[in-house]
Amino acid sequence: MRRIRDIADLSKVREEILAARDPDIRTVAVCCGTGCLACGSADVLEAFRREIASRDAARTVRLIATGCHGFCERGPLVVVRPAGVFYQRVGPEDVAEIVETSILGDGIVERLLYVDPTTGERIPREDDVPFYKHQMRLILGSNGSIDPTSIEDYIAIGGYGALAKALSTMTSDEIVDEITRSGLRGRGGGGFPTGKKWRSCLAAPGDVRYLICNADEGDPGAYMDRSILEGNPHSVLEGMIIGAYALGVREGYIYVREEYPLAVRHFTKALTDAREAGLLGEGVLGTDFSFDVSVERGGGAFVCGESTALMASIEGRAGEPRPKHIHTVESGLRGRPTVLNNVETWANVPLIIEKGADWYRGIGTEGSKGTKIFSLVGKVVNTGLVEIPMGVTLRDIVYDIGGGIRNGKRFKAVQTGGPSGGCVPESLLDLPVDFDRLTEAGSMMGSGGMIVMDEDNCMVDLARYFVGFLKNESCGKCTPCREGLRQMYDILTDICEGRGEERHVELLEYLAWGIQETSLCQLGATAPNPVLTTLRYFRDEYRAHIEDKRCPAGVCKALITYSIVPDSCTGCGACKKKCPADAISGVPKGVHVIDQEKCVKCGACLTACKFDAVVVE
Amino acid sequence: MPDDNVTGGTHGPRIGVYVCHCGINIAYTVDVRRVAEVASSFPGVVVAKTYPYMCSEPGQSLIKTDIREHGLTTVVVAACSPRMHEPTFRAAVADAGINPYLFEMVNIREQCSWIHEHTEAATEKAIDLVRAGVARAALLAPLTEREVDVIPAALVIGGGIAGIQAALDIADAGFKVHLVEKEPTIGGHMAQLDKTFPTLDCSACILTPKMVDAGRHPNIDLMTYSRVTDVAGYVGNFKVTVTKKARYVDLDKCTNCGLCYENCPIRNVPQLREPSGIPSGLTDDDRKKLDEIIAARGEDEEELIQILQDVNNEYNYLPADALKYVGLRLGVPPATVYHVASFYTAFSLEPRGRRIVKVCVGTACHARGAMKVLEELERTLGIGPGETTEDMEYTLLTVNCLGCCALGPVVVVDDEYHSVLPGGVEAILAPKREE
Repeated sequence: MRRIRDIADLSKVREEILAARDPDIRTVAVCCGTGCLACGSADVLEAFRREIASRDAARTVRLIATGCHGFCERGPLVVVRPAGVFYQRVGPEDVAEIVETSILGDGIVERLLYVDPTTGERIPREDDVPFYKHQMRLILGSNGSIDPTSIEDYIAIGGYGALAKALSTMTSDEIVDEITRSGLRGRGGGGFPTGKKWRSCLAAPGDVRYLICNADEGDPGAYMDRSILEGNPHSVLEGMIIGAYALGVREGYIYVREEYPLAVRHFTKALTDAREAGLLGEGVLGTDFSFDVSVERGGGAFVCGESTALMASIEGRAGEPRPKHIHTVESGLRGRPTVLNNVETWANVPLIIEKGADWYRGIGTEGSKGTKIFSLVGKVVNTGLVEIPMGVTLRDIVYDIGGGIRNGKRFKAVQTGGPSGGCVPESLLDLPVDFDRLTEAGSMMGSGGMIVMDEDNCMVDLARYFVGFLKNESCGKCTPCREGLRQMYDILTDICEGRGEERHVELLEYLAWGIQETSLCQLGATAPNPVLTTLRYFRDEYRAHIEDKRCPAGVCKALITYSIVPDSCTGCGACKKKCPADAISGVPKGVHVIDQEKCVKCGACLTACKFDAVVVE
Repeated sequence: MPDDNVTGGTHGPRIGVYVCHCGINIAYTVDVRRVAEVASSFPGVVVAKTYPYMCSEPGQSLIKTDIREHGLTTVVVAACSPRMHEPTFRAAVADAGINPYLFEMVNIREQCSWIHEHTEAATEKAIDLVRAGVARAALLAPLTEREVDVIPAALVIGGGIAGIQAALDIADAGFKVHLVEKEPTIGGHMAQLDKTFPTLDCSACILTPKMVDAGRHPNIDLMTYSRVTDVAGYVGNFKVTVTKKARYVDLDKCTNCGLCYENCPIRNVPQLREPSGIPSGLTDDDRKKLDEIIAARGEDEEELIQILQDVNNEYNYLPADALKYVGLRLGVPPATVYHVASFYTAFSLEPRGRRIVKVCVGTACHARGAMKVLEELERTLGIGPGETTEDMEYTLLTVNCLGCCALGPVVVVDDEYHSVLPGGVEAILAPKREE
């Protein structure tokens, strides 16, 4: 693509791109997000490439490898446009048929369509699939239709239009006002009003300011930032450039966690392309505003998602937070005023500038505007990324979009907000999801992880898991977090291993209070949340562990036994074969028995048994 | 009344052993009767008894009566700390006519019953303590008290922060202090530190005023560049020899004009040491590689993490010598490089296997059984998380979240993502292991 000379030239470039493309050409979008890649979409893509080449159809069809479409559960996903035919669980062996029927012809390969589990009906079009139908995909929407490594694709769908609008018609103050009025709140966890943050930074003295995109998506169970960066990197970059223009910033950084190599590759490509196109670097779009971004790879420390720790890490030091009596908007990176927002927040900026704050305010609830992306994962039928307006109830998310609980099990809780969040029980399923409601329920929005738990998940084990996670991730600088979490973990381990005592619950609450009140940063201050919410909503389970030495969910090894129900056992020997401890004995067609002395409680027999004869108590 | 009475041997010193219950303080944990019973057989012991409160009036009269009736020469009381009741019992035995220093106290409360919970073991320990006490008591000689003059002055050896503070406190209390320091100046290690734990205060800000105070305090006799070479005498009357090292300047005449220093032809000016050499474990090839990595990122301490990432990718871990070399090139102290290298989980300080198996233990994976998959991998590979197989083929790691949450549990083998259910581990490892 040629270099864009000035603001007016952008629309000309867009027209040139569109003119060069045949509007009727068929497009095959193969999802190459990490989820689909794990299901083998790379092979599917290769099969399409070969098939299209062998049929000499390269001119009539455009094959693109897109970022994540969101419906990871059904991957690999393939969408044929313009008809929008949605194929799921596609294997390389299906490719020839799709090309024959749907690309060269106008038919549909029925067997690869999504089947609505409630009606049994096959759904041909992507938009009609219930998983997508109930969503509002403002941020994720383009992921499925553009090639993330092509700046032309982004410009073709109107990309960088918001930047052009900001540069040509808005002053710095007007942009900050627009963002403030839109009610956008930080999507990284805290939910701090973005406009307010920008305004404080603008007011801070000093000529040099920095801007950072936080892509250190550390919350386990959340991966929307990864998918945005992998699937639509330019939308984040455009947001950052607009922010830089508004705040008078010349240097920006994006801090990406090292577990996301593909995101780094795609974003780096976006930076190179944007520089060549004249959208980044000296004189953005021919104006006298200059801005550039460098990519910093994180080192795999959860605490680096905390703003001051992240800045320390960019400065080449260990990521230890500092007290924040001086805010980072006044003294952040290298002691300069710094604005830090996360990936999803930046991706919202172009939308607000393009469509206006009033439009944006129309979406969402009183205190939380716009949409939010959640990673709906765990024991739900349809796992994947879900983008919905703020205020949709948990029930709608879990049942309408998520399709309910797997294997007909019973819903127990939704864990939101990552390790700093909490568990929301069944009684609160009708809670409208926004920043304030979740906080009231004792949990938090966090970066948008939504992990659904069923009756087989033990809430004490879960609390122990999170405290263990945070214990390992505590940077060790302040004592309450470092030592307090270790003590909480030891107590929870005692409870899970059958050494729980009456006084433990009270002790946990006391420690939680101490850690919340006295920790240096938010990692510590929010760390007790998983324990406190499980204590609040699932006290019975703690009681069962402590008083009855029983794990109702059958998870805590010290408190459970595996056994075989003689009436159900067919003597097939599947369990015996899988047992790593040789604890199962029995002759073919005879009832098998587990030797409790030898059993290591790995659960392999439970997985192996096809007759539900293995039970755990 | 005593609740036990055992009598034993008769030759040598005649020792009486009295074991106190201290209510239940001792008796709850230590079997006091058994202690007395065993003690009665120790050499020299003629009587061993227990009593609920030995320090009480009846307890004391019990001892006094025994001294008279059994002709005891020495008394051992096994009870609380001597700080508590040694004076009480010394007065009691003196009252009964024996020298108060022929008394020995054994602490079986603070040092035994209060700190142990198993009766059996605590009793054994108490017996041992009493055995030692009796052995010592047999060697006691009568002492008489007299008063001697003391010289109200102190010697502090070492002019570090502790020595300076001690000297100042004693001097402020009105006593003469001799402060001896072997270096030419006081201040010690603290003078070489930038900040101090845990408040990160500037160390010079704390130290310097104290050094000045110590130097001009009328009660402090400061002897720098000196050593203590002999100590004789006893408490209150020590005789100490201090050797001052040669100064070549008559301190009484010196006016601190500094001309001698200015005019010295071979003046020793402290110089920064040359940076130490290149770590010996690096080959020319290694240096070339590291130089390239550093050149690509820039020779800037801010780039430390990014450079370490590249080194880690190059070697699959961070060799110690590579760390030293990077620190040297960037001007970052080795301790800081190590701090950063050990802080981030992306870095490994140990060599890793050719194939890296990462098990996601993020919440979504955890909820769907990641721990079972991890255990299965541990069994299959025979190693725990963070370990490497002996043949250097596999390294097993856990990661907090791979961002592939919809498909959990997820395992990454050589950068390939797999959605693995418990029981499916063999399939993802199998293909390459057989090659």
